[in-house]
Amino acid sequence: MKVAFVTPRYGEGVIGGAETATRMLAEHLCRLPGWDVEVITSCALDRLMLANTEPEGTAVTNGVSVSRFPTAERSVREHVALDSRLRVSPSTATVGESMRWLELNGPLCPGLTDAVRESNADVVVCSPYLFATTTDSVAVSRVPVVVHPAAHDEPALYLPVFATIFRHADGFVYYTGAERALVERAFRAASKPQLVLGLGIGDPVGVGRAGGDLLGIGERPYLCYVGRVDEHKGCRMLEEYFIRYKLQRKGDLALAFVGPVSERAPSHPDIVVTGAVAEPDKWDILAGAEVMVNPSAYESFSLVLLESWSVGVPVLVNAACGATMEHCRRSGGGLWFDSYRSFEVTIDRLLTDRRMRRRLGDAGQRYVHQHFRWPTIIERYGRFLQGVSGRGRTNDPGRLSPVLGGRLTGPQKKPHPARE
Amino acid sequence: MFPACRAEHTLRPPRLVPELLGVRPNPFPDQGAPEPGRYSDPVPPAPPPQSSVAGGPGDRDGAEGPESSEPLEAAARTRHLDQVICEIGAEVERRRASGDLPASLESELDALFLEFSPVGLQAKSRMRQTLALVDRSAYIDLAVPVASRKVVGRSLKRLIKAGIGWYMGFVVHQIIRFGWSVSRLFHVLVDRVEDLERSVERVQDPGMPSSVVPRLDAARQWWVPEALRAMTGVGGRVLHGECGNGTFVVMLTERGIDAYGVDPDAQVGREALDSGVDLRSEPLIDHLELVEPGALAGIVLTGSVQWLPSGDRRRLVDLLSTRMSERSVLVLQSMTPEAWSTGSSPIVGDLAPGRPLHPETWIHLLQTCGFATSEVFSGGQDRRIDPVGPDHPGATSVNGAIDAVNRLLLGPEEYLVVASR
Repeated sequence: MKVAFVTPRYGEGVIGGAETATRMLAEHLCRLPGWDVEVITSCALDRLMLANTEPEGTAVTNGVSVSRFPTAERSVREHVALDSRLRVSPSTATVGESMRWLELNGPLCPGLTDAVRESNADVVVCSPYLFATTTDSVAVSRVPVVVHPAAHDEPALYLPVFATIFRHADGFVYYTGAERALVERAFRAASKPQLVLGLGIGDPVGVGRAGGDLLGIGERPYLCYVGRVDEHKGCRMLEEYFIRYKLQRKGDLALAFVGPVSERAPSHPDIVVTGAVAEPDKWDILAGAEVMVNPSAYESFSLVLLESWSVGVPVLVNAACGATMEHCRRSGGGLWFDSYRSFEVTIDRLLTDRRMRRRLGDAGQRYVHQHFRWPTIIERYGRFLQGVSGRGRTNDPGRLSPVLGGRLTGPQKKPHPARE
Repeated sequence: MFPACRAEHTLRPPRLVPELLGVRPNPFPDQGAPEPGRYSDPVPPAPPPQSSVAGGPGDRDGAEGPESSEPLEAAARTRHLDQVICEIGAEVERRRASGDLPASLESELDALFLEFSPVGLQAKSRMRQTLALVDRSAYIDLAVPVASRKVVGRSLKRLIKAGIGWYMGFVVHQIIRFGWSVSRLFHVLVDRVEDLERSVERVQDPGMPSSVVPRLDAARQWWVPEALRAMTGVGGRVLHGECGNGTFVVMLTERGIDAYGVDPDAQVGREALDSGVDLRSEPLIDHLELVEPGALAGIVLTGSVQWLPSGDRRRLVDLLSTRMSERSVLVLQSMTPEAWSTGSSPIVGDLAPGRPLHPETWIHLLQTCGFATSEVFSGGQDRRIDPVGPDHPGATSVNGAIDAVNRLLLGPEEYLVVASR
């Protein structure tokens, strides 16, 4: 059984939940006997600029054959302008506008599309839905296409082009039931083969150092956020809420932002920003936290929640996020906030009640052990891919041509020269 | 967002009003003192009353008490979480009412939350909270900040403020009036929606305990050969509604039919699901709502379809007409109305929201959504009374009566309708 994963960016250094999930699935699947896994991706690693930083060609990484193709140039300025216009009422955008948005969102890799078209895999797996790599693959693949949408309730989801793409996919794999409900409600895709899979989690790789020492705050208690430090991930809200909280409470509580900074680093005497850190450091910082806060409303799975729970740390999440709320409700391992007041009250509660923190952490830990261990996950996943492959391609990709216009068959854009 | 405290969560002694006693209230009466030296709460805690979350006074001292080694059951976890969230919600309300944050600042902080949070699927359960935000946003603050690092800047801002204050005040007054009018309209609508929800709740039948609802095991059903024959050769995806343990879905897939199943009971199909059968745990009608029009080439309906309330039945028929393809096959299995009172469990018989229909009625309903060809098969337990022997006294008249009873009241207890279009 051969699987071709298609993802906009691929590699250990890539920051992004869906891309990381794809890498983990590919690396675990290729260890199963009888499975051959290839990855088709761009030469870019960075989400914002999508610059061709990796060499074009095929290389084997952790047992997975990775083929990279250069991305075409795009105008970030035009993308921002179009995005601002369409996000007000995305469902009323024309197909042409939404196609243009997709092209500008990038990465646009003509070579990648050709590779998918010519792939000898039994099934093509694309993730996430938001990029041209997925839409183009659904349009040109000769073999069944499984999409991991990694969708959240964001304006782009309602652009008309995605309805067409979802209709032509042959199966879906979701990270949570909330994601499934969202996609099925938006696209009436319930009759398609689908699987709520989640993701597996390995053993913590921390080495037992005190998180406070790593952060340079000694024995001060701290909350931590782990992931890309980005306004869209709710980091500005968390920063402002924390600063307001500290104005009212003169204690030694600190907040650590652990992860690469996208735009502006939060600044406050009680806030530590680490930037990207090594995995053992991340685990040690996580293990030492009082509470892990994930303020993002746009999560389709949130691996970091499971990582926190696997070291027994309770979590606080955004009540508007279906995926993280589902984890908290199912596990009983975390609380949520939907305003500054509930943030303040919940933090007070968590900090002052060590027993409750432990109880939440333990419940989360049990949840992780029960549902998110790799052997179980990968067995279910393999069986699902075999099932979809056995059904064959149920939609005629030719029907997508009128939607995608001449882009997939027309003259290819000149690729951006690879950077050193 | 925060669920209302329910009766089982209020088993605590009545709270004294600490303000009347000259004591500032503890923000968390159920948890006790903060851990020393970790952070200082601006509101000093009162002596802890009885906890509703933890097991007893020893659980509330913030120290590392002995944790039960037994795994928490899912229901206990849910109760614990609901209770904590409920208490947090009550504390949020108390602090809001205390006015320790200026209204404009609180509004600004809430707006920040909305800025980074989608108003989508979660909005339904947040009607009141969202409305409260509308109320707060309806006020426009005329007190423009005039602070500046430069003295000239501050003076200039004050000058502008003073100069156009009368004008802005006039405009803002009208905008606020408009905002409040709109907000009032929303309040009326929300009140009305809540009234309607309560009315609907009142007319709903009490739910049946899931233990009494029969779960399908197709391995032992008389209608399986006919249903398999009907579905053989359909050109597309087949759905088995209320598929029970998924046996019939497996039978279909073993014959090369692209089939999947749905059942509201998540547990009954767990084994099949774990072995890779495409099963979903959700109600049939909810599922069909989320299926693309024309996506299904075949549907097999079993289980509670026979006792749907009339509104749901009408919705089901509408969905069948739109979700099934032009050339599709429908199979429907049901108990006969005659067998209903004796053939089903007493609790199902009494509490089911609807009653089975005669096969002729289903054929009529299916014709309204374009199903032309229909066949009806009878089966299941045969409840007919055997005739008496010819040597029985008065055999002819007794058997005549038995025939009449069999024809009118007894006979096979189930039927299968196969319809196509």
